[in-house]
Amino acid sequence: MHEESPTELLLLSENAELRTRLEGAEETLRAIRNGEVDAFVIESAAGPRVYTLQGVDAASNRLRGEILAQVSDAVIAIDGQQRVTYANAAAERQYGIGASWALGQLLSKVYETQWLPGAKAAAETALHERGEWRGENIHVRLDGRKLHVESSVTVLRETVDQSAGVLAVIRDISGRKEVEDKVRVSEIRYRRIFEAAQDGVLLLDPDTCRITDANPFMTELLGYSHDQLVGKELFEIGLLKDEGASLKMLQKLKTEHQVRYENLPLKSQRGRHQEVEVVANLYDENGRAVIQCNIRDITERKRVEEHNKMLMAEVNHRSMNLLAVVQAVAQQTARVGDPITFVGRLFDRIDGLAASQDLLVKNEWLGVDVADLVEVQLAHFKDLIGTRVLLDGGLPARLTPAAAQGIGMALHELATNAGKYGALSNSEGRVQISWTVSAGNKPTFLMSWLEHGGPKVAPPTRKGFGQMVIGRMVEAAVDGTAEIDYRESGFSWKLSAPFAAALQMGRVASSAGDARG
Amino acid sequence: MDKHQQARILIVEDEPMIAFTLQDLLVEAGFKVACVAAKLEKALALIESAGCDAAIVDANLAGVSASPAAAALAARGLPFIVLSGYSPEQLQGAFPAAVFMKKPSRPATIIQALKGIVYKQ
Repeated sequence: MHEESPTELLLLSENAELRTRLEGAEETLRAIRNGEVDAFVIESAAGPRVYTLQGVDAASNRLRGEILAQVSDAVIAIDGQQRVTYANAAAERQYGIGASWALGQLLSKVYETQWLPGAKAAAETALHERGEWRGENIHVRLDGRKLHVESSVTVLRETVDQSAGVLAVIRDISGRKEVEDKVRVSEIRYRRIFEAAQDGVLLLDPDTCRITDANPFMTELLGYSHDQLVGKELFEIGLLKDEGASLKMLQKLKTEHQVRYENLPLKSQRGRHQEVEVVANLYDENGRAVIQCNIRDITERKRVEEHNKMLMAEVNHRSMNLLAVVQAVAQQTARVGDPITFVGRLFDRIDGLAASQDLLVKNEWLGVDVADLVEVQLAHFKDLIGTRVLLDGGLPARLTPAAAQGIGMALHELATNAGKYGALSNSEGRVQISWTVSAGNKPTFLMSWLEHGGPKVAPPTRKGFGQMVIGRMVEAAVDGTAEIDYRESGFSWKLSAPFAAALQMGRVASSAGDARG
Repeated sequence: MDKHQQARILIVEDEPMIAFTLQDLLVEAGFKVACVAAKLEKALALIESAGCDAAIVDANLAGVSASPAAAALAARGLPFIVLSGYSPEQLQGAFPAAVFMKKPSRPATIIQALKGIVYKQ
């Protein structure tokens, strides 16, 4: 045996060291091969580095990662401390974030969750009990934009009892929600219009010609219930006279898409007759043909039209009649005096007629209060009313239109005469105008015109228009009697008439019926 | 009717001013005014008693149609004029046998028409 040199010793030592390392490496490889190592840490200049060893699973995990990156729904995973451990490309887009920033962030930094009423508790229970939850809520992004989302959340468990985090697949359904909202609002709006419409609306199936829906107004209009209406044809509910008419409408609808019937007489279930206007439209409802009929009750409109027509005719009739009265007054006025006096007198009398007419119209042809009539016919002497012209009406009395016209003309003649020859022709004479109703079994309207303090009175030498008006004309107008006295101390005129002939009974009178002519 | 006979005319008119003026007009034209009736009953009574030869009838008497008077006149073969503020269309054939005149009509026209129906001129 020979002495080993120092070089030989060093080599031997190195050899032993390498053997030990090799044995260690061989042990590591064996452990790796046997699946005893998941990862190992290698110390490097940059610090320790972890290398995981996943073998075949690594390839499938890469594939899963690529799929997750491609899907359009956002996928986010968090750990037990609510920190983001994964976010796919769709999540980056959906929340406007970068995945590198998000990883390790608290989830609440990525978006704020606003729960729909009751949803939070339900979600917590579901996750706890079943390990998954699916539902809708609102996510508010960092920039404040609100997203309506539908989430599918699964708990990731490493061991049975230890929660390792959750994985959420989140779909932005804001666009769909908006459309749904619009559809819902539109549905509510049109439903409300349909329900509340003051027109009847019927929907029909063009193939069977039968009613498929009717709004509440329609059931009210016809007196049939909704159930009774559905399934019926139009002629069965009295809207069209027979099946033939129904077919005719359908034919016309197919070519013109709209049919309009005006003034269709309609007999309701309760036997009420109404005039209706029907507009039928044929249109396409999502690929299905529908007939919509709008039925409008025009009974009231027709009635108003008829009433207006009647009123116009009545106005015309009254105008003609009044012109005939003016013509008669002109003829009578022309009997005495020269042309110049004639024109003055005629104009005065037309003024009197106009004043009474005005009052009648103001009172809607329902009669005129005596006090008002006296006031307008004594308009020339209005300054004397209360001093030299005293009015004494015991109670408000309302003259019929015919009595008002007759008494109005008489008052006009009385006032004219008083001003020309009687108590109002000097500076101190007085006129007392009174009216009352005497009770008893024959109630009588009494009116008087008494003059005092005027020039000495003498009866007229000839009977003129004025005498006719305050005498037989007014008598005829009120079916009464007029007493005329040309007493020297003062002229007097007393009219008495049956209550019913002179005064309006109550305030209601037929508007057309009282016209003369 | 013979021209030399004085025809008796019934005036059916509820507006006194018009009635009295018509009365004066007819008297001046040589007619005899048999009656001025403001009410239907009075007119019918006169027609029934054969008190007139012809009539001037206002269509509307304070809301009451004068058509029964017209019918009574027609039934007796008596000629008459309907004088009204309503147009013939508005009266809707309620006065079929009548000569119709619209209010206001000129006095001369009324007299001419009356002579026409009374003396068949």
